[in-house]
Amino acid sequence: MAIKDLHHFLESYFTAHHCSILHNQDGMLTVQLTEEMDKALMNRPFYWHYIKKMGHPGDPKQLTLITDPEKRDGKHEWIHFGSPRLHQILNHLHANETYTKLFERLDTNEKTALFPWLIANIKISYQGKQKKDEMVSIGLHLVNGTMKVNMMEELEHKSMQNSISDYCYTIAPIIKLQSGFKRIENVLEDYVQNQSHEWAETSLKTMEEEINLLRHFYKGKSDEKEIKKEMDEIKKRYTPYIHFEVINGGLFYLVDQTPE
Amino acid sequence: MNQIDIKRDKAFINGLETRLEQEGPFASWDLFQMNYEAALTTMSPSFDGLKALEYLPQMEFMDHQLSSAKQVLEDMNGRGILADEVGLGKTIEAGLILKEYMLRGLVKKALIIVPASLVNQWAKELNEKFYIPAVTFRKSHPWDQYDVIITSIDTAKRSPHREQILEQDYDFLLVDEAHKLKNHKTKNYAFVKSIKKKYCLLLTATPVQNRLVEIFNLVSILKPGHLGDYDTFLKQYGKDRKAIGQDGYLKQLIQKVMIRNTRKTAKFNDIKRNIETVWIDFSEEGDNVYSQLQNTTETLPAFSKITLLRELCSSREACYLSLKKMMEDDEKEEWIRPITEQIEQLPQHTKAAKVVDLINQANGEKVIIFTEYRATQFYLQWYLKENGITSVPYRGGFNKGKKDWMKQLFENHAQVLIATEAGGEGINLQFCNHMINYDLPWNPMRLEQRIGRIHRYGQENDVHIYNLAIRGTVEEHIMTLLYEKINLFEEVIGNLDSILAELDINDIESKIETIFSESSSAGEAKIKLDNLSTVIKMKHDEGIQEDEQYGN
Repeated sequence: MAIKDLHHFLESYFTAHHCSILHNQDGMLTVQLTEEMDKALMNRPFYWHYIKKMGHPGDPKQLTLITDPEKRDGKHEWIHFGSPRLHQILNHLHANETYTKLFERLDTNEKTALFPWLIANIKISYQGKQKKDEMVSIGLHLVNGTMKVNMMEELEHKSMQNSISDYCYTIAPIIKLQSGFKRIENVLEDYVQNQSHEWAETSLKTMEEEINLLRHFYKGKSDEKEIKKEMDEIKKRYTPYIHFEVINGGLFYLVDQTPE
Repeated sequence: MNQIDIKRDKAFINGLETRLEQEGPFASWDLFQMNYEAALTTMSPSFDGLKALEYLPQMEFMDHQLSSAKQVLEDMNGRGILADEVGLGKTIEAGLILKEYMLRGLVKKALIIVPASLVNQWAKELNEKFYIPAVTFRKSHPWDQYDVIITSIDTAKRSPHREQILEQDYDFLLVDEAHKLKNHKTKNYAFVKSIKKKYCLLLTATPVQNRLVEIFNLVSILKPGHLGDYDTFLKQYGKDRKAIGQDGYLKQLIQKVMIRNTRKTAKFNDIKRNIETVWIDFSEEGDNVYSQLQNTTETLPAFSKITLLRELCSSREACYLSLKKMMEDDEKEEWIRPITEQIEQLPQHTKAAKVVDLINQANGEKVIIFTEYRATQFYLQWYLKENGITSVPYRGGFNKGKKDWMKQLFENHAQVLIATEAGGEGINLQFCNHMINYDLPWNPMRLEQRIGRIHRYGQENDVHIYNLAIRGTVEEHIMTLLYEKINLFEEVIGNLDSILAELDINDIESKIETIFSESSSAGEAKIKLDNLSTVIKMKHDEGIQEDEQYGN
C-alpha cells in the first residue's frame, strides 16, 4: 500500500481536507487551500494572526504543485519524495491522523451487529550497526480475542466511516483496550525474539572488537573520563535493540465474518 | 543469543483511550489510510542500500561518490575519513551520508565544523542539494535547539559555545579540512575529540602531509586503538611516510577507516584539461631592468634577489613596492633609486597585454586569473578596466560575507575574477572553465589546488588552463625545468606529495628558493634545478608508487 502514484495521493489528501481542486492534469495540480490547510502548510502565522486581529476572514492561498518532473516550469513547486513540501505533508499526516474510531458502512434494512477490533499499525525497527524497519498491521477482536495481521490490506476495499450506519449496533468490548494492546505487544515480542538475529550478533561482535581496541589504546593511562566517553559512544552505536512505534491505530467496528 | 532489548511504544494506547473518552477528534478513513501509506513509503525495509537516492531525484551522483557513501554506511559503520583528491566532491559524499542517516531516523542532531569561509557554502549545499535543514550558527540559534548546525572551529571552541557544545549528544559530527587536526597536542584536537558523537566524518584532501602519525591522530578521533597505541605507532612509522605504501598490513588497516578517490580511480577524465604554456617576451626596457637586477653584485638579503626577479616578471608594481620597502630598511638607496626610476618608466607589462588577448579569445566566457602578488592583482584590475573588461578581486583576507559577495558578482556580473593565492582554498567555481596562471607557484601542489577550483565535480565543460611565462627569466626555468620536464601537469602531480617525502623534501618552494639564492650564477641555478627535476622524475618513473598509496 506504499504510495505509488504521488499525484493521486496528493489529490486525495487535499480532497480529504476539503480543498477544492482547481486544476488537475498533466502532472500539475492546483488546489484552493482552506484556512486550516493554509495554516498547516504555508508557513505564515503572522499573516493569520494579523488578519484575525483586524477582524478579516483571511484569504487562503492557492497552491500549485508539479508532480511530473518533465513539466517543471521554474515558476511552480516541483514536489517529489525528497522535497520539503512532501515532507511537510507527511509530517502533517503523521501528527494528525494517529487515532481513529471507525464503523464499517453498510446499506441494510436488517439489524446488524458490529464487533469491536483494536487495530494498530506498528513499525518495528531493528537497530544494530545499521537499521531496518518492518510494518505490521495487526488487529485484535475485542470480544473473542482473535488476532489477525495484514488488517489494513484486508480493509483496503471496505467503506469505513466515523459514524455508525442505520440499523447497525455495536457490541461492547469484553477485552479492555490496555490489556488488548498488551496482548498485541506480547505477540509481536514473541515474533521478533524468535527470529534469527544475525544483525544483532554482528553488531555485538563489532562492539566487542572496538572495546578491546579501546582498552589497548588507553592501556596504562588513567584518563577515566575520556575512556568512559569513548566507551559510551561505542555502546550507543552498536548495542542492538528493537523498537516498536505505533504509526496509527484505533477502534474499528466491523461486521463479523465468521458464520454464527 | 540473549534476549534483545525492546523499546515499546507507551504513548499510543493511552492517547487512544483519551480520545475515546473525549469522543474525538478521530482521523477519517481516507486520512488514516494515507498516514499508513506514508509510513510504508518512508520506512527502510533493508539494512543496506541508499534510500536517499529516491529522495534526491535532481542529483546526479558520480560512481565513486555512491560507492564511498555506501562504504561509510555499510562497512565503516558511520565513522570514516573521506580523503578524496580536491574537486571530487567530498561535500557531496558527506551530504549523501548525512541524508541517509537522517532518512533512516538514525541522525537527528548534527554538528558540522568547517572553515569559516565555507560555512555559508555548506549551508547552501546541504539545503539546496540535499534538503537538509541546516542552519549556520548565530546567537539566535542556540546549540541545543537546532538539529543541524554549521559552524567554524574558532566559534565552536570559544566560551560559552564550547561548554554548550560539549553538553550536547551529537548523532553526527563532521569536520571539514580535518588535516588541521593532525596534531594531537593542539587545543582544536582536544576539543573535537571531546565532543560526544555517534557517527563521525573527517574530510581532508591531504590526510598525511608530513608524518604518518598525523593519520594516527585522525583515526584516534574515530576509532581509538584501530592503529594501536601512540608510542608503538610512533616508533614504528611516525617519521616515515612511505610506510603506507610498503606496509600492506598498515595500508589495509587504514583502508578500513579511510576512503581516498583520486582523479585516476574516479574516472574523472571525461572532462579534459587543456593546458597551454603561453610564452611571452619582455619589452626591451623590461629586459634591461631584469638584467640589471639579475647581474647586480650588491649583496642582498637571502631570497631577496630572486623574489625581486619573480615580482618583476609579474608586474612593475609588485617589484617597485618591494624595492621601496628595501629602501626604507636598508642603506641601499644609492643602488636602488636608479632602478626604481627605471621601473617608473617601464611601459605596460607585456604579460598583462597577453592576458587581455586571452580573455578576448574566451568569447565572453568567465575567466579566473591567479597571481601571487597583491600589487599585481590591483594592477590587473586597473588594466582590465582600461581595456573594457569587468573584473572582481578575491583574497584570502576577505571576510566570509565579502567572499560570498565577490563570488556572486563574478558568477552574475563580472567576466573575470582575479585571485591571489590565499584566496584559492575552498572556493568552488565550476561555472568557470578558463584559468590563467599569471605567475606560477613554485609548489606544484598549489597549482593543483588552483586548478581544482574549476576542474571539479559539477564542471560540465573541458577546462582551459593557460600558464604564462616570460622567456629568458626565472619563470622559464621553473616552467621548463620543473613543470614541463617532469610532466607535472599531467602525470606526476598526484604522486608528487609522496615523492617529495621520500626525497626528504619538506617544502619544495623553499628548496627552490635555496637553489636560486645559493647559486652564484643563473647557469648554476639552472643545473641544480635540472638535477632536482631529474631526481623527482626518476622516483616517479621507478614506479615505486605504483600501487596507490591508500587507494581502495
